[in-house]
Amino acid sequence: MHKIGALIRAGWLAATSYRFGVVMSFASLIVGVIPVYFVTQALQSTMSTVIAGEGDQFFAFIVVGMSSLTLISATLYALPTALQTGTSTGTIEAMLATPTGVPTLLAGLAGYDVLYALLRATVVLLAATVLGAHLAWDRILTVAPVLALVILAHIPIGVIAAAMVLAFRTPGPLPQLVFMLSTFLGGVYYPTKVIPGAVRVISDFVPLTYGLKAIRKVLLEGKPLTAVSHELLVLAGFAAVLAVIGALSFQAALRYARRAGTLAQY
Amino acid sequence: MTSVASAGVTLSSSTASSTAVSLRGLSKSFAKRRGWRELIRRPFHSEVVPALREVTCDIRSGEFFGLLGANGAGKTTLFKMLATLVTPDEGTAIICGHDVRRDPDRVRRVLAPVIADERSLNWRISARENMRLYAALNGLRGAHASERVDELLRLVELTDAVDRQVAGFSSGMKQRLLVARTLLANPQVLLLDEPTRSLDPLSARAFRRFLREDVAIRHGCTVLLATHSADEAFDLCDRVGVLHKGRLIAVGATSELASIVAEERYSIWIQADGPTAVKALEATRLAGRIESPADEPNGWVRVDLEIPGGINAAADVVAALARANVRVARCERLALSLADLLERTLHHYAPNANA
Repeated sequence: MHKIGALIRAGWLAATSYRFGVVMSFASLIVGVIPVYFVTQALQSTMSTVIAGEGDQFFAFIVVGMSSLTLISATLYALPTALQTGTSTGTIEAMLATPTGVPTLLAGLAGYDVLYALLRATVVLLAATVLGAHLAWDRILTVAPVLALVILAHIPIGVIAAAMVLAFRTPGPLPQLVFMLSTFLGGVYYPTKVIPGAVRVISDFVPLTYGLKAIRKVLLEGKPLTAVSHELLVLAGFAAVLAVIGALSFQAALRYARRAGTLAQY
Repeated sequence: MTSVASAGVTLSSSTASSTAVSLRGLSKSFAKRRGWRELIRRPFHSEVVPALREVTCDIRSGEFFGLLGANGAGKTTLFKMLATLVTPDEGTAIICGHDVRRDPDRVRRVLAPVIADERSLNWRISARENMRLYAALNGLRGAHASERVDELLRLVELTDAVDRQVAGFSSGMKQRLLVARTLLANPQVLLLDEPTRSLDPLSARAFRRFLREDVAIRHGCTVLLATHSADEAFDLCDRVGVLHKGRLIAVGATSELASIVAEERYSIWIQADGPTAVKALEATRLAGRIESPADEPNGWVRVDLEIPGGINAAADVVAALARANVRVARCERLALSLADLLERTLHHYAPNANA
């Protein structure tokens, strides 16, 4: 944990050294919520019945979706981006030459981006609350295990993309594909039940579908964790299966990179 | 003891207990990169390019060992294998008793490569924060970590700049910080891959002094230095190995190797015309190969020549010329280029190495 903490701290210090960038990043988040508020207010009467079961306010429904999308974007792209930058500058080579385990290194490299995305998501939700979104803030700790599972279900996809970077210098199409499917079929802007039958089958294989249902039930309808046990179970299944695939792919990529000499080739 | 290095030949006189790095028949080949047309025409065909061939060598504890070679000679590949970043195809590399293939975790605890690329530092944070990060990655914690960071920043003379962003550092400061970062691991073996390549001559000289006096002598590290510069290797190292096309063609004490391949070439300024100067030099019977004289102003010529026997023989040549009433203005040893050194080493040790 100490090593992960040190990597996260270094990431934070480097990011906050761009002071104007940090201010602008949060300002744009807050400003970005305002048009969403007006559009969702206009659609409230039409959408209220459509979103039934995942809250009753379309504005809150959408901001929860947008915040979750911010989070999974970080989990998908943090590692491949860190590996891509790190291999081109020699940072990864320097870190791998220290007595630090690869899982620790990966957790530390992704840690800052994921925590920063969580902070950004929280800011969006706070701004939305100020504008009148009905969020059950007293349920924020209850939603933490759901968020943890959402992160754990998506991080391995980032690990697979990072393995691709290590072996072939490109993350490949996987993170983009998962992000696109999550955006359009994961229930970010509309509930998955309105998706036509043939396509809805795909949404059943998108982890965010279950994550968003669970988050909305807890945060927008105030339900306890027991009410989302099915979603939690499915997310845990995704996390377990993808973790094994991610670990195996990364190990294979590392072995290949060491053999082919691409690990420290920049 | 200078000797030819080849597979299976033990070169060093060092005993096993004092050996920091032991290489036996270390080989590595990489797949040749093929163009699209070739890839489509013969998709399953593969070709390999040998990067290292049967490198065998021992490096003693506390030794400053130089590895000389042109681009593509295999220096970096060898270093990356020692640092466990590249897996050897054949042979063994034992670092302080640990095999790089079987026990890479232990190797990483005793050996540290100085990644010479300045970009491997985090430029947006301070020198101290860079050091704190790597202190943590090397398992140092709390007050001990802070003390070690401060101690090393003092050693590399960056005390006044500890809290400044690395982005504002000069190349020399960044190189010193890279070394300090590596020393956090308290390594027994340090790998330096062309550490002075981006430094101006003055900074390079100061940096070499720092490596020799502070890192090697005071810190007691076994240092392996890969370099293009023959002068740098001869200036710093106790022994030098010469890599050529992946083969270690010679290993020897720096003084000995230098006397054989480096200290024989001199320039002498003589007041005479070209043919007379050459005749005068031939008459000394001490000169080896004499090159065509080059005219200098005011009736002087400069003659480049070989003087077997090093500096004492050069003094004898000057004295002989003086006895023959030939005026000599200057006699100096020629700096040896890497190309000359390789040519001479190949000629001397491995005349068939290009085959």
